[in-house]
Formats: sequence, C-alpha cells, structure tokens
Amino acid sequence: MLRFVVRRLLLLVPILLGLSILIFVWVRALPGTPADALLGERATPADVAEFKQRYGLNDPIYTQYWAYLKTTLSGELGTSVASHRPVTTEIKERFPATIELAVAAMIFALGFGLPLGFIAAKKYRTPVDHGSLFLSLIGISIPVFFLAIMLKYVFAVRLGWLPTVGRQDVLIDADHPTNFYVLDGIVTGNFAASWDAIQHLILPAIALGSIPLAIISRVTRASVLDVQSEDYVRTARAKGLPPSQVDRRHVFRNALLPVSTIIGLSFGILLSGAVLTETVFAIPGMGSWMKEAIFNHDYPVLQSGIMFLALVFVIVNLIVDITYAFIDPRIRVS
Amino acid sequence: MSIAQVEEVQLEQHQMSGGLWSEAFRRFIRNPAGIMGVAFVGFFVVVAIFAPLIAPHSPTDQDLFAVATGCCPGPSRDHLFGVDELGRDELSRVMYGARYSLVVGVLSVAVGLSIGLVLGSIAGYLGGWADSIVMRLMDILLAIPSLLLAIGIVAMLGPGLSKVMIAVGIATVPIFARLLRGTILGQREADYVVAARSIGVRRRTILTSHILPNSISPVIVAGTLAMATAIIDVAGLGFLGLGPQDPATPEWGTMLTTADRYIATAPHLALFPGLAIVIIVLGFNLIGDALREALDPKLRRYD
Repeated sequence: MLRFVVRRLLLLVPILLGLSILIFVWVRALPGTPADALLGERATPADVAEFKQRYGLNDPIYTQYWAYLKTTLSGELGTSVASHRPVTTEIKERFPATIELAVAAMIFALGFGLPLGFIAAKKYRTPVDHGSLFLSLIGISIPVFFLAIMLKYVFAVRLGWLPTVGRQDVLIDADHPTNFYVLDGIVTGNFAASWDAIQHLILPAIALGSIPLAIISRVTRASVLDVQSEDYVRTARAKGLPPSQVDRRHVFRNALLPVSTIIGLSFGILLSGAVLTETVFAIPGMGSWMKEAIFNHDYPVLQSGIMFLALVFVIVNLIVDITYAFIDPRIRVS
Repeated sequence: MSIAQVEEVQLEQHQMSGGLWSEAFRRFIRNPAGIMGVAFVGFFVVVAIFAPLIAPHSPTDQDLFAVATGCCPGPSRDHLFGVDELGRDELSRVMYGARYSLVVGVLSVAVGLSIGLVLGSIAGYLGGWADSIVMRLMDILLAIPSLLLAIGIVAMLGPGLSKVMIAVGIATVPIFARLLRGTILGQREADYVVAARSIGVRRRTILTSHILPNSISPVIVAGTLAMATAIIDVAGLGFLGLGPQDPATPEWGTMLTTADRYIATAPHLALFPGLAIVIIVLGFNLIGDALREALDPKLRRYD
C-alpha cells in the first residue's frame, strides 16, 4: 500500500512541474507586458528598462522560470492588481467558499444520486427505471447557470423561501475563524449563523450538483445491475438470506466501488461549474474570482488561481485513487 | 455438422453482414431515443438555416413602445416569447441564436477533434518517446478543470465568439487524443495491420488507410457527445461575458447574462434561450448514446 502511495506521489511531480511550465509560458503569452500593466501608459523607455532590470525580465527565460518556481514554492504568489491585496490572503478567504459549495453539491449529488440509481436498477426496465434514465439525461443536458437562474427565480424571487445572493445575510453578526461559514457558526457556537449559511448554500448546491447527480445515478444503476448477477450474490440468495440483507450487505456495498472513482472526476466538473454558479449567486469564491480576474487583466490572480485549483483537483484525484486502492486491493497490483 | 448446416450458418452470417455502417444505421433508426435526438437537433438545424424566413421580426429591431412601460413584457400575440430589455423580439433572437450555437459547437469540436486526432495518432502509432511526450502533455491539460482551461485560453486570445470556439475546442483535445491513442494501440497488433506491415506497406499508409478507418467509430460517438458539452461550455463562456462582444449578437449564453439581471420581472428572457440550449444539448446526447449502441452493440448492456 505504501509503495502504491509513493508511486502515485512520484507520478504527480512531473505533472505539476509541467503545469508550472505551461502556466509560466501562458502568462508570457497574455496580451500586454507586465511593465505596461504596472507602469501605465506614460512610462518612459528608461522607466521600462529600469523595471525590466529590477524584476529580472532581461534574464534568460530559464532563469526567470527558476525564479518563478522558487517564489511559488515558497508560497509567495504576488499581489492582485485589482484589489492590491496579497493573492494568498484572498485565496484563504475565497477557497473555503468554493470548497463549502463543492462539498454541499457533492452531498446533494450523492444523497439523491445513489438512491435514484439503486432504485432504478431494482426496478430495471420499468417506468421508474426509464424515468430515472431520462432524468439523468436532462441532468447532463441542462447548463449549470441556466438551472441556477431558474432555481433563483422560483425559490428565491417567487416563493421567497431562500436567499438569492452571497454566503450569509449581511445583517448577521458572525466571526469567521476558518472562513468555512457553516463550520464557523458551529465552532463559535453561533448556530443561527450556521443555519443562515446553510440556507445560502441550498440553491447553489442543487444547481452545481445536478451534473454529478446525473452521472452518479447512471453509474450506480449500471454497477448495481452488474453486481446483481455476480456469483456471490446468487450464493447469498441461495443460502436463504433475506433480499433486503442481500441488497445491503452484498449488492450495494460492492456496487459503490466504481461510484467512488466518479467522485474524483466529478470534482473537476464541480470546480468548472463553480465559476458559473458563483457568478449567478454572487458568491465570493475562487470561481467568481477567476472570472473577475479576466476582466481586470489581473494576471497574478489568474496565474496563481488556476495553478492552485489544478493542484487541488490533482490532489483530490490522488486521494480518491488511494482510497479506491485501499478499498479494492486489486488496484494496487496493476 | 452436415454440409446443409454449414451452409445455413454461412447464409445467416451473410445476412448479418450488410457492412458495419448499414448495420449500424439499421440499429440506429430502430432506437426511438436516437430518433428523438435527431428530431431535436434537426429542428434547430432547420430553424437556424431558415431563420431569416421564419423569424417574425429581425433579431436586432427594437419595438420601443413595448418596453415603454418597463422591462419587459412577457409573451403576447405580437411577440410570442415576449421582448427583451431593448424591445427586441425574443422569439426571433432565440431562432437566430440557433445559428451561433450550432456553428460554434460544430467548429469547436472540429478544432478539438483535428488536433486530438493528430496527437492521438502520433502517440498511439509511433509510441516510444513521442507517446510519452504527447500523453504527459495531455495529463497536464487534464489537470486543469475544463472550463478553467477554456477561460485561461480566452484570457490569452481575448474575448469573442471565435476565440471562445477555439478555447472550448482546445479544452476537448485531451479527450480525443486519449481516446484515439487507446483505440489505435488496440488496433496496432491486429492481424490485418500485421499483414499489411509484413507485405511492406508504408507506415503512413497503414495508419491512414487501415488503422484510422477502423478506429473511427468511438471517435464519432465521442464527437457527438462532445458537441453537447461544447454547446454548453460556449454558452457558459458567453454567460460569463467572454462571448461575442457586440450586444446585438443573439448568442444564447450571452442572452442569459442580461436575463439574469432582469430575472425578477422578466423570467421569460431566461426561460426561452435556456430551454433552447437544453433541447439542443439533449438532442446531441441522445444521438451520441444511440450511436454508441448502434456502432458497438457489444457495449450495449443495460440501457
């Protein structure tokens, strides 16, 4: 097991190194030079030359890359051009918002996707099954932002059941030691604040979770149907185990294995969708930050933000792979 | 087995083998889901082509009397889908919007497919260090969530419909490259390839006239499904404001940006372009699923 983990970690190194080169090259391909961006239009050629000298822009490209790598690894991500705040400070505030949203969406997707897929498989080739397949097809066909807008209209604007924007009511007086608002309320004993944060999460989580929900229910269904025809299930039935016991102890547990791999893949979908969902619900997370950064030509933010999100995505997938190998020993060998 | 039986088996086999494509076509048209998908997509293709003839108004003409009392009157006899915040006919805009979504969807998949095809063929057929370089590059691209990758590319190229198209296309490259490499690797040691190699056929000819034609069916399926994702992603980038910069362009995603602003008073502005996206994307997803079953019936298990 340890060897598997170490091997997977080592495989990560070239990918992250490649990613850093890619982003380094990408930033240099962006329109405008850093000198133009920071010195403004009135800078004299002498100013520009001095600027280039001071920031090492005259050095050979590999020296520049090496400097970039060193500062990035030391956690120095630069300052946002738009807000003039350190990028790391902003990540500390915004990343929890996105993770909270992604986790809520995942809970929604698993909470409804697993039972839906399981029931569909149990009612194989009945209207219930067809209905669930159709529903999941709609789920992957509906754009996240359209669903988000419609949910906002129905449940927030029309019915007024849930709030429309932000992470928490502005009038709520709450401390944020971790910046995970739901968790903050629990830690500080301010349960009203937690409850308010949860209410703000419901609609965005449903909108964002719709695609993973559709995928999870489809995979669960196929996986349950696969497992049902296995020998060990037939044996369990033959020895007289009650059907509910067979389902719970043999079918469902084994059917969950392939579903767990989907969770890692879905995380990428969640990070992509977060850009759109956060925009619709005005949530100050990583996604809406990236969007604003494009319009502000805030390249330090884009550079570090994309690198950071890619890093998170890669790590989540690594954790899922390791968990999978932990549950299913066959993976470790191959 | 008697001779009569052998003949019977051969006859059966003969009837079965009407060629891969005609067999697949027969299976496809027997699948109601696939037909429904074709109907959805076909409907929008017709709307897109004949938009100038069937649209009741021009997509840019403003009926200022309609918005004189505020934004925005909903469906009426004059404007079946209502009017937008500038008094433009929503139905006509949705109809013209089909042109952008279809063209941009097709072109961005074409971009992704052609680059992916080349990279995947190189990796799969040459193998060795070419394979390693290409596939590691694809791994790196896959490490960035697809919409973020597209956003990064748009940042580099600047906003605009054609830039969005290229960005979404490039974001699909790793999918096609990986798929093609996998199928080519599977074909490389097939008997007919070994036979061609042993009689001295050139490598490039083997690749283009033996391996690629036999690897194409999974690519067609993936291409159709990629159309669905591409249309959603293009609309998403449009929604973020990175699409066409001319506000007169009736692109569905961009239309939803303004719709979001007027959602409290004019939900029809969001509903109609949104539903159009859902239906066209659903169409491509249905066609993709049906094609997969038709081209490779062995894969068909539980659907």
